[in-house]
Amino acid sequence: MTVLMISALAAFTTPMRIDTTPASLLWLLPLVATISIVYKATKVGSVRLRPFVKEAGALFGSILVFIAVAALILYGIAWVVTGQLPGLLDSSAF
Amino acid sequence: MGPSWKDNHVLYLLVVGAMAWLVPGGGHYLLKEKRRAAIILVAVALTFLVGLYVGSIGVIDKVNAKPWYWAQVMNTPAVFLLGDHVADAYYRGAARREARAGRDGTTQAVQAYSVFGRAGEIGQIYTSVSGLLNLLCIINAIYMAHLRVVKGEHA
Repeated sequence: MTVLMISALAAFTTPMRIDTTPASLLWLLPLVATISIVYKATKVGSVRLRPFVKEAGALFGSILVFIAVAALILYGIAWVVTGQLPGLLDSSAF
Repeated sequence: MGPSWKDNHVLYLLVVGAMAWLVPGGGHYLLKEKRRAAIILVAVALTFLVGLYVGSIGVIDKVNAKPWYWAQVMNTPAVFLLGDHVADAYYRGAARREARAGRDGTTQAVQAYSVFGRAGEIGQIYTSVSGLLNLLCIINAIYMAHLRVVKGEHA
């Protein structure tokens, strides 16, 4: 029991190994779920399972859609600035 | 002569706010909003613990990451103890590093709780966001308590 407890506590003293890959973006999902749940817990008039899950789910989805749209816009800007703009500047009369 | 209504009101709000900070969801529990309190407790505590597990307790860094630390403190005052422990370990490591540098001329880093890379980022973001969510809950609990006093539900 003591050994189990010590090893459980020791797990909190060394970081996990998470590579910088596109898959690491999935760590966003639990955080968005928590934000949706806690925010809705402070907003709904009375907490009943079905309406609460529905409202939190809708907020979860809308946050993800907003993040996806923001990511697409930023990706587009980066694509223009790093991929298209240098070529245009090279071929210009300046 | 007893305390005025306003004094009681302020004290009541302070107690609710303190309870909400002491234990996530504690303020709502005091207001007999047990389901709400349970949801907040589980969500905030779980996010905080996941952050600590992913990034190690070194993400509670009051020496090098003060703004993040103040967000993390909003989880519970127990974070102060954790922050002190991590800071002590940091200063002990720094003293050892200086002693070693004086002895053999090297400046090898000595860290008690390592924090690095993506895991450090994720841990810091999780623990800080859970703290800010708890701050939202503290404010909400105080506001609900205020509304109840104004509507005369609180005796």
